[in-house]
Amino acid sequence: MKTQDHISIDGAQGEGGGQVLRSSLALSLVTGRAFEIVNIRAGRKKPGLLRQHLTAVTAAARVGGAEVEGADPRSTSLRFRPGAVGPIDAEFAVGTAGSTTLVLQTVLPALLTASGPSKIRLEGGTHNPFAPPFDFLEKTFLPLIARMGPKVTVALERPGFFPAGGGKFTVTIEPSEALKRIDLLERGGIHQRRAVARVAGGVPRRVAEREVRDIARRLSMKPTDCHIEEVTDSLGPGNIVTIELESDAVTEVFTGFGERGVPAESVAQSAVKRARKYIASDAPVGEYLADQLLLPMAIAGGGSFRTLPPTRHTLTNADVIRAFLDVDIDIRKETRETWRVTIETTGDDR
Amino acid sequence: MSKPVVVLGLLGTTLDSARPDEDRWNRWRPTVSLCQHDDLLIERVELMHPKKSAPTAEIVASDLRAVSPETEVRRHVLDWRDPWDFQEVFGALHEFARSYAFDPDREDYLVHITTGTHVAQICLFLLTESRHFPARLVQTSPPKRFRGGEIGRYQIIDLDLSRYDRIAMRFRDEHREASSFLKSGIETRSAAFNALIDRIEHVAIASEAPMLLTGPTGAGKSQLARRIYELKHARRQVDGPFVDVNCATLRGDAAMSTLFGHVKGAFTGATSDRSGLLVSARDGVLFLDEIGELGLDEQAMLLRAIEEKRFFPVGSDREVESDFQLIAGTNRDLRVEVARGAFREDLLARIDLWTFELPGLRDRRDDIEPNLAYELDQFARRTGRQIRFNREARERFLRFATSDDATWRSNFRDLNAALTRMATLAPSGRIRREVVDEEIERLRRGWERPESDAKRNDAERLLESVLGAEAAERLDRFDRVQLADVLDVVRNTPSLSEAGRILFARSRERRATRNDADRLRKYLAKFGIRHEDVRQIERST
Repeated sequence: MKTQDHISIDGAQGEGGGQVLRSSLALSLVTGRAFEIVNIRAGRKKPGLLRQHLTAVTAAARVGGAEVEGADPRSTSLRFRPGAVGPIDAEFAVGTAGSTTLVLQTVLPALLTASGPSKIRLEGGTHNPFAPPFDFLEKTFLPLIARMGPKVTVALERPGFFPAGGGKFTVTIEPSEALKRIDLLERGGIHQRRAVARVAGGVPRRVAEREVRDIARRLSMKPTDCHIEEVTDSLGPGNIVTIELESDAVTEVFTGFGERGVPAESVAQSAVKRARKYIASDAPVGEYLADQLLLPMAIAGGGSFRTLPPTRHTLTNADVIRAFLDVDIDIRKETRETWRVTIETTGDDR
Repeated sequence: MSKPVVVLGLLGTTLDSARPDEDRWNRWRPTVSLCQHDDLLIERVELMHPKKSAPTAEIVASDLRAVSPETEVRRHVLDWRDPWDFQEVFGALHEFARSYAFDPDREDYLVHITTGTHVAQICLFLLTESRHFPARLVQTSPPKRFRGGEIGRYQIIDLDLSRYDRIAMRFRDEHREASSFLKSGIETRSAAFNALIDRIEHVAIASEAPMLLTGPTGAGKSQLARRIYELKHARRQVDGPFVDVNCATLRGDAAMSTLFGHVKGAFTGATSDRSGLLVSARDGVLFLDEIGELGLDEQAMLLRAIEEKRFFPVGSDREVESDFQLIAGTNRDLRVEVARGAFREDLLARIDLWTFELPGLRDRRDDIEPNLAYELDQFARRTGRQIRFNREARERFLRFATSDDATWRSNFRDLNAALTRMATLAPSGRIRREVVDEEIERLRRGWERPESDAKRNDAERLLESVLGAEAAERLDRFDRVQLADVLDVVRNTPSLSEAGRILFARSRERRATRNDADRLRKYLAKFGIRHEDVRQIERST
């Protein structure tokens, strides 16, 4: 175990965004170790803590009974000293249609092995271009967490799109004592493809029709695998398409976000492009999932997966994890399209 | 922890408007957009709206809850019949501000001024500027092009201008320019004098109250008064003229009429109306130099004119009005004059709100050199002749001018005269050593006399007026000084006993009998002087 009393994190490292902060918060809760982060989001147009980061800090402080210094808008440094991590029953709201899934990502790891079940209600954006959408959480990420032990269920009450936000979902977490190691090295065949186009808040149904038609044509999908959902209870307009690819190992989700003035076909294509790249390689783990898997695997004390070329996000995340935990994270290129990530514990006293 | 932010703003009945059947998210709405910024966390919005806009307010409030669940929205019905009626809108907002429980120690307030009529925006600005809203202003602006979801910009404006570096620097520059202007552009070095001028500049710009400039003769009171006027005129604080008069030149009946004017037939020789200097100075600045010389009657009239801005011209039963700023000058200690009964205490109280004492040149030795350059420059302007010192001559003159030998009794008048003489005598525009040596000798002689000219002449005049010129001439020098001083005391005291108490104050304490009046009477009798002779002489002024 590392002996340092508190850990110093440079917020400007790697991709230098909010991810460094969120990972640090999550790891601090998991390890019980205090940290100080400086240069928060130093390279960004508006440096320092924004509202969604503050919500993440608040949520983390709640979960860990933490002492916090510097949790102010636009603050560029923060000290976080967690107390006892316990299960919670709480609500967190994110303004500006900021992503609720990122807040969950911050507190979830610690709650997976907490002493009792937790229930969290989140309010804000659920389908946000700059964060994993709710569908990814539900279809891709949480089933893998379930394979590691804990049972996490999510129930979407109402989607929240940019800019109106106002989405709501509930998360229930049944923890396990420890996380089990998993390895995702072989994808196996993709045996199910599914496309869903959703429109909300006055966006016409024909937009969704054009999107699924385009996806079906480009990915040679059967009309029965294409679905249209008209969301009636959204607070504002919204449009997204998701392509789900189910293989033996995992269900991957690729998303396109509708924007005013952007043709439906372009929205469809942005999802199709990512899906095709994934299909073309034989790696089971997509770019976003790779990023998300590092932390639970590190907590589990080991794991491995094959994935697409790692993003800057993933590499930064690995660095932050190494600062908190005695783990080796080996990221190695295998072929032109695939990389292999292996996580092993180095110490034996954990 | 920073303080929670509270926004106070009007519902924009047009910009914020939202009908349930339209796609309001496809439009930029200022109040909603303000709560969408990811770097501005708003604890609470106090949304003011007319009663009839309640449905819009309800939609906006619910949209705010969606985009900003952290924000509490409180609605306030604020009604006015005409949103363009300044009085009505101001009244309603003023009332709101007064009744709102502001807690600036705990909360940080922003007044949103993008919504509401222009009249309402002006009212919000005024109420914020006057700190009725202890807040900063916040303005929102739409994105250049709205495609969907863009929230535009917000800008926080603190009306405390000292918080802006560049504005503060601008003010400092302006202040420096004004101070320099008051010093006629002379780069004075005396720290005390520069501080004094800075203070005068501040007061001159900020106040319309009378100012009193004291200091020895020739210290530059008159010049400074004119500069103060010019500064105020340049800043459009006065648009009337500068009128200056030396009160020593106002004597007897003419004094009243010169200052306050008269009507035709008011007295013998008043063949037509005359408006007087106080009227001439209307909306401008009146500089009364040597105000201590003013008679008591004129002082009373002046006091009223300053306080009421109105007065009666001589012989008139109709008041005239004139609003002017008074600058008074004196080389006397007016408090002593008040004690002597020669100056009205109430008038002094009125004019010495801002008293500035200008030091004499002797106390500003560092400033002699820059003033030398200024005087030469002025000479060149006046005569068209450019005059320069020889290096040696210049050093020689400065060495003398800044030495203890140079008393500069008449201050800048002496300096100006010396420079004028030297410049005039300078062959081919060069002041050489010989000219300087001659001038130094001349100045030295002029300052040699133990008493000032004024005081000496005063004593001579007094002796002459009591004894007559002939008898005064026959007096020994031994007696002259003593008698003159005794007479000065006697004429300024109501009785011989009183005068005796002053003159024999020290020895009185040691004597049993104290008939000082008798002693004094005998002394005067030696010179053939009776008490009545002295009493007839005008009091010293």
